[in-house]
Amino acid sequence: MANQWFRRGLILSMALVSLAQGFVQVNAAERVTLNVVIGADVNVVDVHKTLLGPGFKEKNPGVEFNVVGTGTGEAASRAIYTKIKAQQDTNRKNWDVDVALVSMIAASQMVQEGLLYKYVPSISAAKLVTGPETKRAFGVQVDGFVVPMFHNQIAIAYNPKYVSKPPKSFEELVTWVNANPKKFAYNGIKGGVSGQGFTVGWVYWKTGQYQAFSQGPFDKGKEPLWKKALEELKEFNKNVVITSGNAGTLDQLNRGEIWMGAVWIDQLVAWKNDGRMDSSITPVLVSPGLPIYPIYMVVPREATSRDWAAKYIDYVSQPEVQAKVIVEKYGWYPGTDAARVLPLLSPKAKELLFKDVTPDDLAKYSLQMPIGEYFNAILLAYEEIVR
Amino acid sequence: MESTTEPLRVRGVEQILWIGLCLPPLLVLGFAFLYPLLASVWSSIIYEGNLSLAHYSRVYTLYRQDVVFTLGVALSGLVLVLLVGLPVCGYLRLRTFRTVEFLLKVPLFVPFVVVGHAMRVFLSPHGTLNGLLLLAGILDPQHPPSLATSWLGLAIALAWKHMGLAALLFMGAFRAVDEAYLESAQNFGAGILRQTKDILIPMAAPSIAVACVLVFASMLASFSIPLMMGRGSGPQMLMIDVYYRFGQHGDYATAGALGVVAYLMASGAAFVYLRNLGR
Repeated sequence: MANQWFRRGLILSMALVSLAQGFVQVNAAERVTLNVVIGADVNVVDVHKTLLGPGFKEKNPGVEFNVVGTGTGEAASRAIYTKIKAQQDTNRKNWDVDVALVSMIAASQMVQEGLLYKYVPSISAAKLVTGPETKRAFGVQVDGFVVPMFHNQIAIAYNPKYVSKPPKSFEELVTWVNANPKKFAYNGIKGGVSGQGFTVGWVYWKTGQYQAFSQGPFDKGKEPLWKKALEELKEFNKNVVITSGNAGTLDQLNRGEIWMGAVWIDQLVAWKNDGRMDSSITPVLVSPGLPIYPIYMVVPREATSRDWAAKYIDYVSQPEVQAKVIVEKYGWYPGTDAARVLPLLSPKAKELLFKDVTPDDLAKYSLQMPIGEYFNAILLAYEEIVR
Repeated sequence: MESTTEPLRVRGVEQILWIGLCLPPLLVLGFAFLYPLLASVWSSIIYEGNLSLAHYSRVYTLYRQDVVFTLGVALSGLVLVLLVGLPVCGYLRLRTFRTVEFLLKVPLFVPFVVVGHAMRVFLSPHGTLNGLLLLAGILDPQHPPSLATSWLGLAIALAWKHMGLAALLFMGAFRAVDEAYLESAQNFGAGILRQTKDILIPMAAPSIAVACVLVFASMLASFSIPLMMGRGSGPQMLMIDVYYRFGQHGDYATAGALGVVAYLMASGAAFVYLRNLGR
């Protein structure tokens, strides 16, 4: 009887010892898993999964990546915001998102609600993070919380087969559209941000209030100004095709159903690279300008692997990585100091991106989005007036 | 002698056990459906901390056209389902034709998004349908119509998708009609259409009504198909507006108000369904 118990005790203690060894082993080799959550389209998710993640892993072997996308458009960033907010509301200690890629609106809201970690001062690329949109986003001070992964410029793309002299300004665009009804398209405000950007550009032009709308503070007294601009947009829309989204505009341009449209430059370049787009379609910026829209990389305040997240973002912000991956492979404008990135580009990349829209054009005609209150007010007025 | 039996009643321990068995799914239902439903209804009547109908007034200002549009498209889709489904199912009841019956059920297995994309390509200005009509010389090649973005295109796409479910329900109801009635009608010389109209439909009317209600409620709530067949401007289906409201603006309150409006529209149909169940 005692023998039996002795044997059982021996087996049990052997089991416990081996288990304990297992625990010790797990703790000895510190492996970090970075959860990268991306509120942007599949091509952005791909970049992190196939190029940026593995590139970083080469230099830091102990790091594993868990890259997920949450969808497209504003709703995707909102999903990330909801997730992080929920963790803050329940006072959870280690949040399960380390690096998040979100839109300007979502990032500005997150900074306002104290959900983010101020990581930028601690990274080596801090001095490369320049540009007004890294300091303020929709009127919120985001300095130190965000690094743009890339910049997305909205432009007017035209088909040179039908458009011999592309418009250089909004006035010329209106004249052209009136002479060529139903040959210009944008996606309104519901299908995608390119259409919202076009609307914002229109309001800037008609009201002349770019400084006030992009810097703030919010002045409800200016409402008649943007309402009048939108009444005129309603008139303009009579000769215009409203498409279902960013892709809808590009699709129709490609098929020759329309001859000009408001598009994202990076999407245009990506479709050309994929062979889905007629390579002669050319982007152009019209004065006074069209908005630029960055995708921000942020680190949630209580992220489990906060410091590694900052190191990863540091890696993505380096000029070499920006040149090789961001610009050359995907046709995005660099997120960090373009002056440092440009010299590293191949001539082909320079041509693809900067031939039609030169850095000079960008400097003159690339505008900021308005502050949050103005942006929402303009969108609401569009819904009420233009429909 | 007639014997009347009382319905069996569950008592005592057995009753407690059955309640225990039903409790988990009821709790899941309450937690995953009832609680969010009540929360969204509550959020739609609160504005800045006070009870208010401000969100409903915004729905009225911005989206009343869309409410009418959604109702119209759902009703048109339903009418299309009835116009095509009833005669075809009547024919299938009276003459067996397995291939057609199978084809009618195919839409059941095609995902909504796939239907939306297929219809978008099929019905677009330079799509398949217009291509065929062009060959037949019916259309003006300079100005081909675009069914894809119109209400008719939406109704066609929704009707196609729901045809599977409707056919299933209609066939079940028609098969339950006694052969004797049909035979007597045939003896009087009634053709297929006559038998469908005067015997099958009236006798299966309760089931057809239920099918109509289910199809209508499902069309009201359609999201993937209107999204895929998207229109940038003009009236939208309600679910697209709900998506825009919380996706773009994070405005859950107005999205909740839109949801309540949709519940009310569908609940009219659900009320009819429940009354029929009791019959």
